[in-house]
Amino acid sequence: METHAHGPQVIVDPTTLNPAKRTLLLNGALAGDETLEPVEEALLALLREERTEIRGYAMRDVPLAHCQGCFECWTTTPGLCKTEGDAGREIAAALIKSDLVVILTPITFGGYSSEIKKAMDRIICLVLPFFRRVDGEVHHSQRYPSYPALAAVGVLPAPDEEQARIFRSLVGRNALNMDCPVTAVCVMEAGTPPPILRDSLAADLEPVLAHVGGRVA
Amino acid sequence: MSALRVVLLVGSARPPGTGNSEALGSYLLARLAEGGMGTEVFHVHRCQRPEKERALFEAVGGADVFVLSTPLYVDALPYLVTRCCERMAAHRAAEPQEHRSRMVALVNCGFPELEHTLTALDICGVFARQAGFVWAGGLGLGGGEAIGGKPLEEVGGMTRHVRGGLDLAAEALLADRVIPEEAQAQLARPMIPSRLYTTLGDIGWLRTARKKGTLRRLWDRPLG
Ligand SMILES: Cc1cc2nc3c(=O)[nH]c(=O)nc-3n(C[C@H](O)[C@H](O)[C@H](O)COP(=O)(O)O)c2cc1C
Repeated sequence: METHAHGPQVIVDPTTLNPAKRTLLLNGALAGDETLEPVEEALLALLREERTEIRGYAMRDVPLAHCQGCFECWTTTPGLCKTEGDAGREIAAALIKSDLVVILTPITFGGYSSEIKKAMDRIICLVLPFFRRVDGEVHHSQRYPSYPALAAVGVLPAPDEEQARIFRSLVGRNALNMDCPVTAVCVMEAGTPPPILRDSLAADLEPVLAHVGGRVA
Repeated sequence: MSALRVVLLVGSARPPGTGNSEALGSYLLARLAEGGMGTEVFHVHRCQRPEKERALFEAVGGADVFVLSTPLYVDALPYLVTRCCERMAAHRAAEPQEHRSRMVALVNCGFPELEHTLTALDICGVFARQAGFVWAGGLGLGGGEAIGGKPLEEVGGMTRHVRGGLDLAAEALLADRVIPEEAQAQLARPMIPSRLYTTLGDIGWLRTARKKGTLRRLWDRPLG
């Protein structure tokens, strides 16, 4: 475990890894909520098995200014948010350099927690302002030649079909807009016993774990 | 009986008076004011300090209608709106509300298709129920940038259907009904044809970049 200027960061021993593969883990636990801890532990164990380098941010410990909706990251400082002095640019860089992004979040109203959203709103600099059509729908053109795979793990206080459905649709929409090559979603309840938790994560995240582990899914 | 009250929360991070969400919300508010409601407006980025946040929560607590008008950010509600919703839901759970408030959400997005807004509207619906509002419904609008942050009447004929849809929404809210499907059908009619919107958008980015002297750097990959 390394300490980082913007909060705790987890880095797996670099001598044991496949240096070609990188994973960014964003933990969106809200202040005072420790229910995500066992899920993060299980996730890290699975990722370590794939021997990927892991960079993690506990977002609640990372002060980030809100996106000002100015689009200057497209027109004034192309590819960079104009806000300096916080971890916004660093997280955007970590994301685009990763093979896999894992979003671990409590599901709030069916979506990501505010701690995840504060980072997500700051990454539109990774695409171009120009429009393109995908399956008849408009999206932005790519700035970079490739984008990471996306895995999202959402934790609910109790089973909730509606919020699980909304969460899945949100992740699907993000994957489409970020042009992610592979996507996986896992929705679970807080307090799921560790063996079941590990099995659900392994099953639901199989396609992205294979992607980052260099296996064929 | 005192006048019914409506509180508008603008979810855009843009300065007051310049955003599309504010233009949409203000139009709806004006119609509700014509119907006799008292109005109050808050901007989410100005409600971050505890005393401002408290003022917002109190105003919403005493309102008969709570309108959230917000842009779509990365397929969902913006960070500050999400945070405000989390905190408002917790506040209302801790201090059970005696006043019955209805909530309506207007979500506009930059892409021409309103389908992009549907997930965020679903999120608003879940928030409304969890925070103890009566959900009056949500309206999505694609191609929001066509408004240019101006009052809808000033934008002109292009916003005819948008105004028509919001008029129907106002009528419903004044009559204590949920927003009718016809209101969404009106907002679904494009302000400008999709291809024209994207072409004008692309030209707009190039023009802005040329003015700023960044045209050649527009495709830069500074982080890769
Ligand atoms: C950070 C950020 C993320 C955005 N994400 C989306 C998106 O996912 N889909 C979309 O159609 N528009 C997106 N937009 C565009 C806005 O929704 C659109 O420009 C809107 O009209 C802005 O409203 P406002 O003037 O009230 O801020 C995004 C804008 C910003 C600044």
